Amino acid sequence: MIRWLARQTLRLYPLAYQRRYGDEMRALLEDQPPRIGTVFDLGRGALRAHLRPADAPAGMVDAGERVRASASGVLLCWVFFAAAGFGYYKSTEDQPFSTAGHAHPLLRDAHLAIQAVALIASAAVVIGALPLIVAALAQARREPALRRTVALAFLPVIVFGAVTAAVIAIAHAQAPNGSGAGGGIAIAWGIAGLACGTTCVFACRGALFATPVAPAWLRGALVAGTIVTVSMLAIAVAAGFYAIALTADVSRLAAEPNGPFQVMSVTASLIVQIVVMLGAGALASIATSRAWRAERQLA
Amino acid sequence: MRYIGERSTDPGLLVMTSLAEGPKHGYAITADVEEFAGVHLGPGTLYGALARLESRGLIEALPADDRRRPYRLTADGSTALEQELAQLQTVTRQGLDRLRVAEATR
Repeated sequence: MIRWLARQTLRLYPLAYQRRYGDEMRALLEDQPPRIGTVFDLGRGALRAHLRPADAPAGMVDAGERVRASASGVLLCWVFFAAAGFGYYKSTEDQPFSTAGHAHPLLRDAHLAIQAVALIASAAVVIGALPLIVAALAQARREPALRRTVALAFLPVIVFGAVTAAVIAIAHAQAPNGSGAGGGIAIAWGIAGLACGTTCVFACRGALFATPVAPAWLRGALVAGTIVTVSMLAIAVAAGFYAIALTADVSRLAAEPNGPFQVMSVTASLIVQIVVMLGAGALASIATSRAWRAERQLA
Repeated sequence: MRYIGERSTDPGLLVMTSLAEGPKHGYAITADVEEFAGVHLGPGTLYGALARLESRGLIEALPADDRRRPYRLTADGSTALEQELAQLQTVTRQGLDRLRVAEATR
Protein backbone atom coordinates (compact mmCIF):
# COMPACT_ATOMS: atom_id res chain seq x y z
CA MET A 1 0.00 0.00 0.00
CA ILE A 2 2.76 2.45 1.01
CA ARG A 3 4.81 1.49 -2.06
CA TRP A 4 1.77 2.19 -4.26
CA LEU A 5 1.16 5.50 -2.47
CA ALA A 6 4.82 6.50 -2.91
CA ARG A 7 4.70 5.69 -6.63
CA GLN A 8 1.50 7.72 -7.00
CA THR A 9 3.09 10.64 -5.15
CA LEU A 10 5.80 10.68 -7.83
CA ARG A 11 3.05 11.73 -10.24
CA LEU A 12 2.67 14.98 -8.31
CA TYR A 13 6.11 16.10 -9.51
CA PRO A 14 6.30 18.50 -12.45
CA LEU A 15 6.33 16.64 -15.76
CA ALA A 16 9.93 17.65 -16.47
CA TYR A 17 11.07 16.10 -13.17
CA GLN A 18 9.08 12.95 -13.84
CA ARG A 19 10.75 12.52 -17.21
CA ARG A 20 14.23 13.34 -16.00
CA TYR A 21 14.28 11.59 -12.63
CA GLY A 22 11.11 9.42 -12.58
CA ASP A 23 12.75 6.12 -13.57
CA GLU A 24 15.62 6.66 -11.15
CA MET A 25 13.26 7.52 -8.30
CA ARG A 26 11.11 4.45 -9.01
CA ALA A 27 14.29 2.32 -9.03
CA LEU A 28 15.26 3.86 -5.67
CA LEU A 29 11.82 3.01 -4.25
CA GLU A 30 12.41 -0.61 -5.33
CA ASP A 31 15.86 -0.71 -3.73
CA GLN A 32 14.71 0.95 -0.53
CA PRO A 33 11.26 -0.12 0.75
CA PRO A 34 9.31 3.11 1.32
CA ARG A 35 7.87 4.06 4.69
CA ILE A 36 5.11 6.54 5.38
CA GLY A 37 7.83 9.17 5.91
CA THR A 38 9.00 8.50 2.34
CA VAL A 39 5.58 9.48 1.03
CA PHE A 40 5.71 12.77 2.96
CA ASP A 41 9.28 13.36 1.76
CA LEU A 42 8.14 12.83 -1.83
CA GLY A 43 5.13 15.11 -1.35
CA ARG A 44 7.36 17.84 0.07
CA GLY A 45 9.85 17.32 -2.76
CA ALA A 46 7.07 17.60 -5.35
CA LEU A 47 5.77 20.82 -3.79
CA ARG A 48 9.27 22.29 -3.72
CA ALA A 49 9.86 21.23 -7.34
CA HIS A 50 6.72 23.14 -8.33
CA LEU A 51 7.54 26.22 -6.26
CA ARG A 52 11.27 26.40 -7.02
CA PRO A 53 11.92 24.34 -10.14
CA ALA A 54 15.55 23.55 -10.95
CA ASP A 55 16.88 24.29 -14.43
CA ALA A 56 18.30 20.82 -15.12
CA PRO A 57 15.04 19.02 -16.00
CA ALA A 58 13.48 22.02 -17.80
CA GLY A 59 14.46 20.86 -21.30
CA MET A 60 12.56 17.59 -20.92
CA VAL A 61 9.19 19.05 -21.97
CA ASP A 62 8.16 21.33 -24.84
CA ALA A 63 5.94 24.40 -24.61
CA GLY A 64 2.75 22.56 -25.69
CA GLU A 65 3.25 19.96 -22.98
CA ARG A 66 3.90 22.66 -20.39
CA VAL A 67 0.60 24.35 -21.27
CA ARG A 68 -1.25 21.02 -20.94
CA ALA A 69 0.48 20.16 -17.65
CA SER A 70 -0.27 23.60 -16.18
CA ALA A 71 -3.93 23.47 -17.27
CA SER A 72 -4.25 20.06 -15.57
CA GLY A 73 -2.54 21.53 -12.50
CA VAL A 74 -5.13 24.31 -12.26
CA LEU A 75 -7.89 21.70 -12.52
CA LEU A 76 -6.35 19.66 -9.69
CA CYS A 77 -6.14 22.80 -7.54
CA TRP A 78 -9.82 23.40 -8.32
CA VAL A 79 -10.74 19.92 -7.05
CA PHE A 80 -9.10 20.59 -3.67
CA PHE A 81 -10.48 24.13 -3.60
CA ALA A 82 -13.98 22.79 -4.32
CA ALA A 83 -13.65 20.37 -1.37
CA ALA A 84 -12.80 23.29 0.95
CA GLY A 85 -15.55 25.37 -0.67
CA PHE A 86 -18.07 22.65 -0.02
CA GLY A 87 -16.91 22.59 3.59
CA TYR A 88 -17.56 26.34 3.77
CA TYR A 89 -21.02 25.82 2.29
CA LYS A 90 -21.85 23.11 4.83
CA SER A 91 -20.45 25.21 7.70
CA THR A 92 -22.61 28.23 6.87
CA GLU A 93 -25.79 26.73 5.37
CA ASP A 94 -27.94 26.63 8.51
CA GLN A 95 -30.66 29.08 9.47
CA PRO A 96 -28.69 30.96 12.19
CA PHE A 97 -26.11 31.97 9.56
CA SER A 98 -28.83 33.30 7.23
CA THR A 99 -30.30 35.25 10.15
CA ALA A 100 -26.85 36.66 11.00
CA GLY A 101 -26.42 37.60 7.34
CA HIS A 102 -29.64 39.65 7.42
CA ALA A 103 -28.31 41.61 10.38
CA HIS A 104 -24.71 42.10 9.20
CA PRO A 105 -24.17 43.51 5.68
CA LEU A 106 -20.54 42.32 5.49
CA LEU A 107 -21.56 38.73 6.24
CA ARG A 108 -24.34 38.89 3.69
CA ASP A 109 -22.21 40.54 0.98
CA ALA A 110 -19.24 38.21 1.49
CA HIS A 111 -21.53 35.17 1.34
CA LEU A 112 -23.25 36.43 -1.82
CA ALA A 113 -19.92 37.28 -3.46
CA ILE A 114 -18.60 33.78 -2.72
CA GLN A 115 -21.68 32.18 -4.28
CA ALA A 116 -21.56 34.43 -7.37
CA VAL A 117 -17.82 33.93 -7.98
CA ALA A 118 -18.15 30.17 -7.39
CA LEU A 119 -20.80 30.06 -10.12
CA ILE A 120 -18.54 32.01 -12.51
CA ALA A 121 -15.58 29.72 -11.77
CA SER A 122 -17.67 26.57 -12.23
CA ALA A 123 -18.95 27.90 -15.56
CA ALA A 124 -15.36 28.71 -16.60
CA VAL A 125 -14.25 25.15 -15.76
CA VAL A 126 -17.03 23.69 -17.94
CA ILE A 127 -16.57 26.16 -20.83
CA GLY A 128 -12.78 25.82 -20.81
CA ALA A 129 -12.82 22.03 -20.61
CA LEU A 130 -15.66 21.33 -23.04
CA PRO A 131 -13.71 21.80 -26.34
CA LEU A 132 -10.87 19.70 -24.93
CA ILE A 133 -13.31 16.95 -23.90
CA VAL A 134 -14.85 17.00 -27.38
CA ALA A 135 -11.38 16.81 -28.98
CA ALA A 136 -10.35 13.94 -26.67
CA LEU A 137 -13.57 12.01 -27.44
CA ALA A 138 -13.04 12.51 -31.19
CA GLN A 139 -9.43 11.36 -30.86
CA ALA A 140 -10.52 8.33 -28.80
CA ARG A 141 -12.88 7.30 -31.62
CA ARG A 142 -9.94 7.27 -34.02
CA GLU A 143 -7.43 5.82 -31.56
CA PRO A 144 -8.59 2.77 -29.55
CA ALA A 145 -5.55 3.01 -27.22
CA LEU A 146 -6.87 6.33 -25.91
CA ARG A 147 -10.35 4.97 -25.08
CA ARG A 148 -9.27 3.49 -21.75
CA THR A 149 -7.80 6.83 -20.60
CA VAL A 150 -10.91 8.76 -21.66
CA ALA A 151 -13.15 6.19 -19.96
CA LEU A 152 -11.01 6.49 -16.82
CA ALA A 153 -11.71 10.23 -16.79
CA PHE A 154 -15.48 9.66 -16.76
CA LEU A 155 -15.51 6.68 -14.39
CA PRO A 156 -14.63 8.63 -11.19
CA VAL A 157 -17.44 11.09 -11.93
CA ILE A 158 -19.93 8.21 -12.16
CA VAL A 159 -18.49 6.54 -9.05
CA PHE A 160 -18.67 9.77 -7.06
CA GLY A 161 -22.25 10.33 -8.24
CA ALA A 162 -23.14 6.84 -6.98
CA VAL A 163 -21.32 7.41 -3.66
CA THR A 164 -23.13 10.73 -3.20
CA ALA A 165 -26.51 9.11 -3.89
CA ALA A 166 -25.69 6.40 -1.33
CA VAL A 167 -24.64 9.01 1.26
CA ILE A 168 -27.86 10.95 0.75
CA ALA A 169 -29.89 7.75 1.14
CA ILE A 170 -28.01 6.86 4.36
CA ALA A 171 -28.41 10.41 5.70
CA HIS A 172 -32.15 10.22 5.17
CA ALA A 173 -32.31 6.86 6.89
CA GLN A 174 -30.20 7.90 9.89
CA ALA A 175 -30.50 10.47 12.62
CA PRO A 176 -29.76 14.02 11.48
CA ASN A 177 -26.27 15.57 11.48
CA GLY A 178 -24.12 15.38 14.56
CA SER A 179 -24.09 11.68 15.31
CA GLY A 180 -20.73 9.85 15.16
CA ALA A 181 -21.88 7.70 12.27
CA GLY A 182 -22.95 10.81 10.31
CA GLY A 183 -19.54 12.43 10.84
CA GLY A 184 -17.76 9.28 9.72
CA ILE A 185 -19.84 9.07 6.58
CA ALA A 186 -19.18 12.76 5.82
CA ILE A 187 -15.41 12.23 6.12
CA ALA A 188 -15.55 9.08 3.95
CA TRP A 189 -17.59 10.98 1.38
CA GLY A 190 -15.07 13.85 1.35
CA ILE A 191 -12.14 11.46 0.91
CA ALA A 192 -14.02 9.66 -1.88
CA GLY A 193 -14.64 13.03 -3.55
CA LEU A 194 -10.97 14.00 -3.42
CA ALA A 195 -9.88 10.55 -4.65
CA CYS A 196 -12.39 10.57 -7.53
CA GLY A 197 -11.53 14.18 -8.44
CA THR A 198 -7.79 13.50 -8.41
CA THR A 199 -8.20 10.31 -10.49
CA CYS A 200 -10.38 12.20 -12.96
CA VAL A 201 -7.85 15.04 -13.31
CA PHE A 202 -4.93 12.65 -13.89
CA ALA A 203 -6.94 10.73 -16.51
CA CYS A 204 -7.92 14.03 -18.18
CA ARG A 205 -4.26 15.02 -18.18
CA GLY A 206 -3.32 11.71 -19.84
CA ALA A 207 -6.02 12.20 -22.48
CA LEU A 208 -5.02 15.82 -23.05
CA PHE A 209 -1.40 14.86 -23.66
CA ALA A 210 -2.49 12.25 -26.22
CA THR A 211 -4.87 14.60 -28.06
CA PRO A 212 -3.84 17.12 -30.69
CA VAL A 213 -5.64 20.37 -29.80
CA ALA A 214 -5.93 23.58 -31.84
CA PRO A 215 -3.88 26.40 -30.21
CA ALA A 216 -7.05 28.53 -29.97
CA TRP A 217 -8.73 25.90 -27.80
CA LEU A 218 -5.69 25.60 -25.59
CA ARG A 219 -5.66 29.39 -25.26
CA GLY A 220 -9.39 29.27 -24.40
CA ALA A 221 -8.64 26.70 -21.70
CA LEU A 222 -5.93 28.99 -20.35
CA VAL A 223 -8.30 31.96 -20.24
CA ALA A 224 -10.79 29.76 -18.37
CA GLY A 225 -7.99 28.58 -16.06
CA THR A 226 -7.07 32.20 -15.35
CA ILE A 227 -10.68 33.03 -14.48
CA VAL A 228 -10.82 29.98 -12.20
CA THR A 229 -7.55 30.98 -10.52
CA VAL A 230 -8.63 34.58 -9.91
CA SER A 231 -11.98 33.28 -8.64
CA MET A 232 -10.27 30.94 -6.19
CA LEU A 233 -8.25 33.79 -4.72
CA ALA A 234 -11.29 36.10 -4.65
CA ILE A 235 -13.40 33.48 -2.88
CA ALA A 236 -10.62 32.83 -0.35
CA VAL A 237 -10.41 36.55 0.41
CA ALA A 238 -14.22 36.85 0.69
CA ALA A 239 -14.30 33.79 2.97
CA GLY A 240 -11.63 35.50 5.07
CA PHE A 241 -13.82 38.61 5.44
CA TYR A 242 -16.76 36.37 6.30
CA ALA A 243 -14.78 34.55 8.99
CA ILE A 244 -13.54 37.83 10.51
CA ALA A 245 -17.00 39.40 10.50
CA LEU A 246 -18.58 36.27 11.98
CA THR A 247 -15.98 35.94 14.73
CA ALA A 248 -16.11 39.65 15.61
CA ASP A 249 -19.83 40.32 15.39
CA VAL A 250 -21.54 36.97 15.99
CA SER A 251 -19.01 35.38 18.30
CA ARG A 252 -21.50 33.03 19.96
CA LEU A 253 -22.38 31.46 16.61
CA ALA A 254 -18.69 31.39 15.56
CA ALA A 255 -17.76 29.46 18.70
CA GLU A 256 -20.36 26.71 18.19
CA PRO A 257 -19.09 23.21 17.35
CA ASN A 258 -19.06 22.41 13.66
CA GLY A 259 -18.21 19.73 11.09
CA PRO A 260 -17.93 15.96 11.33
CA PHE A 261 -17.80 14.77 14.97
CA GLN A 262 -18.28 18.44 16.03
CA VAL A 263 -14.62 18.62 17.04
CA MET A 264 -13.87 22.13 15.76
CA SER A 265 -15.68 25.42 16.19
CA VAL A 266 -17.17 27.23 13.21
CA THR A 267 -14.25 29.71 13.24
CA ALA A 268 -11.64 26.91 13.31
CA SER A 269 -13.42 25.11 10.45
CA LEU A 270 -13.51 28.32 8.41
CA ILE A 271 -9.79 28.94 9.05
CA VAL A 272 -8.91 25.42 7.83
CA GLN A 273 -11.08 25.91 4.75
CA ILE A 274 -9.55 29.31 3.98
CA VAL A 275 -6.00 27.94 4.34
CA VAL A 276 -6.81 25.15 1.84
CA MET A 277 -8.47 27.69 -0.47
CA LEU A 278 -5.48 30.03 -0.34
CA GLY A 279 -3.04 27.15 -0.86
CA ALA A 280 -4.96 25.87 -3.87
CA GLY A 281 -5.30 29.41 -5.24
CA ALA A 282 -1.59 30.13 -4.81
CA LEU A 283 -0.54 26.88 -6.55
CA ALA A 284 -3.06 27.55 -9.33
CA SER A 285 -1.59 31.07 -9.75
CA ILE A 286 1.88 29.60 -10.24
CA ALA A 287 0.54 27.03 -12.73
CA THR A 288 -1.40 29.70 -14.63
CA SER A 289 1.51 32.12 -14.93
CA ARG A 290 3.79 29.30 -16.15
CA ALA A 291 1.13 28.20 -18.63
CA TRP A 292 0.93 31.70 -20.12
CA ARG A 293 4.73 31.85 -20.41
CA ALA A 294 4.69 28.51 -22.24
CA GLU A 295 1.78 29.65 -24.42
CA ARG A 296 3.77 32.70 -25.55
CA GLN A 297 6.55 30.32 -26.64
CA LEU A 298 3.96 28.27 -28.55
CA ALA A 299 2.73 31.37 -30.33
CA MET B 1 22.59 33.03 8.92
CA ARG B 2 22.13 29.27 9.18
CA TYR B 3 23.32 27.19 12.10
CA ILE B 4 26.32 25.02 11.41
CA GLY B 5 24.14 21.99 12.28
CA GLU B 6 21.89 22.81 9.35
CA ARG B 7 24.82 23.44 7.05
CA SER B 8 26.57 20.23 7.90
CA THR B 9 23.41 18.20 7.19
CA ASP B 10 22.49 20.16 4.06
CA PRO B 11 21.45 17.49 1.51
CA GLY B 12 23.48 19.15 -1.26
CA LEU B 13 26.65 19.12 0.84
CA LEU B 14 26.06 15.51 1.92
CA VAL B 15 25.48 14.39 -1.68
CA MET B 16 28.62 16.19 -2.90
CA THR B 17 30.66 14.72 -0.06
CA SER B 18 29.41 11.26 -1.01
CA LEU B 19 30.29 11.83 -4.67
CA ALA B 20 33.79 13.05 -3.73
CA GLU B 21 34.65 9.36 -3.46
CA GLY B 22 33.56 8.61 -7.01
CA PRO B 23 30.39 8.27 -9.15
CA LYS B 24 27.34 6.81 -7.43
CA HIS B 25 23.66 6.31 -8.22
CA GLY B 26 20.74 7.29 -5.97
CA TYR B 27 20.64 4.24 -3.71
CA ALA B 28 24.42 4.17 -3.25
CA ILE B 29 24.40 7.88 -2.30
CA THR B 30 21.60 7.33 0.24
CA ALA B 31 23.37 4.34 1.81
CA ASP B 32 26.72 6.16 1.91
CA VAL B 33 25.26 9.34 3.48
CA GLU B 34 23.45 7.26 6.08
CA GLU B 35 26.73 5.53 6.93
CA PHE B 36 29.06 8.53 7.19
CA ALA B 37 26.63 11.19 8.47
CA GLY B 38 23.83 9.19 10.09
CA VAL B 39 21.33 11.14 7.97
CA HIS B 40 18.64 9.35 5.97
CA LEU B 41 17.90 11.17 2.71
CA GLY B 42 14.41 10.39 1.41
CA PRO B 43 13.98 10.11 -2.36
CA GLY B 44 12.30 13.52 -2.57
CA THR B 45 15.12 15.22 -0.67
CA LEU B 46 17.81 13.32 -2.58
CA TYR B 47 16.51 14.09 -6.05
CA GLY B 48 15.71 17.68 -5.08
CA ALA B 49 19.38 18.07 -4.15
CA LEU B 50 20.58 16.25 -7.28
CA ALA B 51 18.42 18.50 -9.50
CA ARG B 52 19.73 21.68 -7.87
CA LEU B 53 23.38 20.54 -7.98
CA GLU B 54 23.02 19.44 -11.60
CA SER B 55 21.41 22.79 -12.53
CA ARG B 56 24.34 24.64 -10.96
CA GLY B 57 26.84 22.47 -12.86
CA LEU B 58 28.30 21.05 -9.63
CA ILE B 59 27.51 17.44 -10.54
CA GLU B 60 26.79 15.67 -13.81
CA ALA B 61 24.87 12.57 -14.79
CA LEU B 62 26.65 9.66 -16.42
CA PRO B 63 24.98 7.24 -18.87
CA ALA B 64 22.29 5.21 -17.08
CA ASP B 65 22.99 1.67 -16.02
CA ASP B 66 19.53 0.11 -16.45
CA ARG B 67 17.31 2.67 -14.65
CA ARG B 68 19.99 3.65 -12.16
CA ARG B 69 21.91 6.67 -13.34
CA PRO B 70 25.22 7.45 -11.65
CA TYR B 71 26.31 11.00 -10.89
CA ARG B 72 29.76 12.44 -10.42
CA LEU B 73 31.25 15.71 -9.22
CA THR B 74 32.32 18.17 -11.90
CA ALA B 75 35.52 20.22 -11.58
CA ASP B 76 33.39 23.17 -10.37
CA GLY B 77 31.69 20.85 -7.91
CA SER B 78 35.02 19.67 -6.48
CA THR B 79 36.15 23.29 -6.03
CA ALA B 80 32.85 24.32 -4.44
CA LEU B 81 32.90 21.32 -2.09
CA GLU B 82 36.48 22.02 -1.08
CA GLN B 83 35.67 25.67 -0.30
CA GLU B 84 32.55 24.75 1.65
CA LEU B 85 34.34 22.09 3.70
CA ALA B 86 37.30 24.39 4.35
CA GLN B 87 34.89 27.03 5.67
CA LEU B 88 33.15 24.46 7.85
CA GLN B 89 36.55 23.27 9.08
CA THR B 90 37.56 26.82 10.03
CA VAL B 91 34.34 27.32 11.95
CA THR B 92 34.66 23.90 13.60
CA ARG B 93 38.27 24.55 14.64
CA GLN B 94 37.42 27.99 16.00
CA GLY B 95 34.46 26.64 17.91
CA LEU B 96 36.44 23.78 19.48
CA ASP B 97 39.34 26.10 20.39
CA ARG B 98 37.01 28.55 22.09
CA LEU B 99 35.23 25.77 23.99
CA ARG B 100 38.61 24.50 25.24
CA VAL B 101 39.62 27.99 26.39
CA ALA B 102 36.28 28.48 28.10
CA GLU B 103 36.61 25.12 29.89
CA ALA B 104 40.20 25.95 31.00
CA THR B 105 39.19 29.29 32.51
CA ARG B 106 36.18 27.85 34.33
